[in-house]
Amino acid sequence: MIETKIRIQNKLGLHARPAARFVKTASRFRSDVCIARDDQVVNGKSIMGVMMLAAEFGSELIISTTGDDEKQAMKALVDLFERKFDED
Amino acid sequence: MITIGKAKDAKEMSLEGVGASPGIAIGKAFVIAGEQVKVDPRQISDEGVPAEIEKLMSAIERAKNDLRLDRSTAANKVGREKARIFDAHQMFLEDEMLIGEAKELIRAQHLSADSAFYEVVQKYQNHLGQTVAETFRDRVADLRDIKRRVVRHIQGVRRDFLSQLEGSAIIVARDLTPSDTINLDRHKILGFATDMGGRTSHASLVARSYEVPAVVGLREIFKMVKTGDRLVLDGSAGVAIVHPSVSTLKKYRKRQIKQHEISKKLDTLRDLPARTADGKNIELAANIEFADETDSVMAHGARGIGLFRTEYLYMKTSVLPTEDEQFETYRDITQRMRPYPVIFRTMDLGGDKSPTCINIPPEDNPFLGWRAIRISLEMKEVFLAQIRAILRASDFGNAKILLPMISGIGELKEALDLIDRAKDQLKRKTIRYSESTEVGVMIEVPSAAIIADLIAERVDFLSIGTNDLVQYVLAVDRGNERIAHLYKNLHPAVLRLLRDVVRAAHQKGVWVGMCGEMAADPLATLLLIGLEFDELSVSPIIVPEIKRIIRAVNYQEAASITRKIMEFSTAEEIEHFMMRYMRRKFKDMVF
Repeated sequence: MIETKIRIQNKLGLHARPAARFVKTASRFRSDVCIARDDQVVNGKSIMGVMMLAAEFGSELIISTTGDDEKQAMKALVDLFERKFDED
Repeated sequence: MITIGKAKDAKEMSLEGVGASPGIAIGKAFVIAGEQVKVDPRQISDEGVPAEIEKLMSAIERAKNDLRLDRSTAANKVGREKARIFDAHQMFLEDEMLIGEAKELIRAQHLSADSAFYEVVQKYQNHLGQTVAETFRDRVADLRDIKRRVVRHIQGVRRDFLSQLEGSAIIVARDLTPSDTINLDRHKILGFATDMGGRTSHASLVARSYEVPAVVGLREIFKMVKTGDRLVLDGSAGVAIVHPSVSTLKKYRKRQIKQHEISKKLDTLRDLPARTADGKNIELAANIEFADETDSVMAHGARGIGLFRTEYLYMKTSVLPTEDEQFETYRDITQRMRPYPVIFRTMDLGGDKSPTCINIPPEDNPFLGWRAIRISLEMKEVFLAQIRAILRASDFGNAKILLPMISGIGELKEALDLIDRAKDQLKRKTIRYSESTEVGVMIEVPSAAIIADLIAERVDFLSIGTNDLVQYVLAVDRGNERIAHLYKNLHPAVLRLLRDVVRAAHQKGVWVGMCGEMAADPLATLLLIGLEFDELSVSPIIVPEIKRIIRAVNYQEAASITRKIMEFSTAEEIEHFMMRYMRRKFKDMVF
């Protein structure tokens, strides 16, 4: 399992559209994907889960990937955050 | 706030909300009982589990089918852009975690399919409802929507509950979702009253486009009203009256008739020019955002488009709009409005509008940041493509270019050079455009207002965008409730600035318009005439009201009132004076 800490950079936070992109990207990989915010941990392949984090601008999340393609999955997901979901 | 009326039965109650669409509606309530889905509380047996899961899954499939249908209905009715919300609903219904949890409740706790699904979604709804950020809280209505869809299918309840609506009614709901309104027969709707929402909520937008009254943010109307109860809505005052007494009904019927007469009178104004009683012509145009609004523009008697906002072309997808795609939109509009002018404002992104196709990094002060022309001048190819598209449209009618957020001559020169370059590019390809296409500057930054003379020397017209200008001049963020009261269109500083801009422009021989919200404020119309604005541009629905004021006043009168007003020292005095003056002059209008 690998973990990466990230901070949400897009203004509207991880709202419906970026949450959907995250889920779509996560679902491309075999690895399990989890996101944790404070003590809340959700399945990164569920839009409902990701939305429930209600992660606003500036909040800190820990993404973890577990599986044979965990590295590739992590890279793709972190990349999304770094590009701010091409949003703002 | 609730006040108990004096009516004999003591039942009349007046609720205060936000007036989201003007007018008076009197009628019976039709309550859209979004929450009132009742679920089957019975426990199922072990053997019943597979059948119950099967029920759930097939209901979800059918709900997804409905969504596809609604999506295409919505796309036809309100445009593909606004229909996109149904895509998110689709994803919710495909969520494995959600479905998995519902199945688990059936299996482990032997809940019926409907109560299992209900419980799971309700849990998420409650969770989201507690979050602080509005973007997330707004999704609660979406969750409620999918919950209802699926539960209805499990129970085999027909979803077209609005066919139950016999005759016309005022729609009452906690909040309205897109799927609530998309199947409404608009001819049966007298108005909307909702507990939640502000002026930009879904119900408000629909009400304004259907041109029926709406009061939102009423907080408790859903709880208090049953289908069939009598209701009065005053969409101008933001009031809803539940169980109105006979005398209240009488009072509002009178007002309604009066308003009806006014609007009939306003209809007769459609083909008349916006000319003062003593013969001064004002160009009265409309602000729009979508090409299909041109019908409404003509129907309300505007002569031209004073502001076509081009942002949505950039907001709708994650890729930049091509020159051809833009050209087609601009051409259609220009052709439809011909011979009247269409003023295209080049993209005003940034600030509160962040597109997905251009990466605007977060800023501490987006309204003082990288936006509008500042983006265009950096992304020259994007700007050139837009200018070429507008120029090409100019061959099909009367198109003009408006440059937003100019703050100095340097930017203006650069933008004008680029416009020349775009013309050269078209010439080289022998593509036709009108050489006389006018170019104007939007005056919305105080520095531009102060050097309006220098700007006017270099362009064909100025258009004042008051929303930003007033915000910048008074240093007041209108969205900040604590200080919003300091935002005053009629602040003496604003009026002096407007006066100076108009004078400067006229001295240089160019015309000046106004396309901000101030142009739509009937309290300001007389002053704008007195300040010698050549053009006013407002949303189509406001056009008749403003035209009526223009036609009823004399320019001489307006000029002398304006001189008097200019001596006042506070916005409150000016508002008070104008209110009294206009009320005396237009006894039937609400100011």
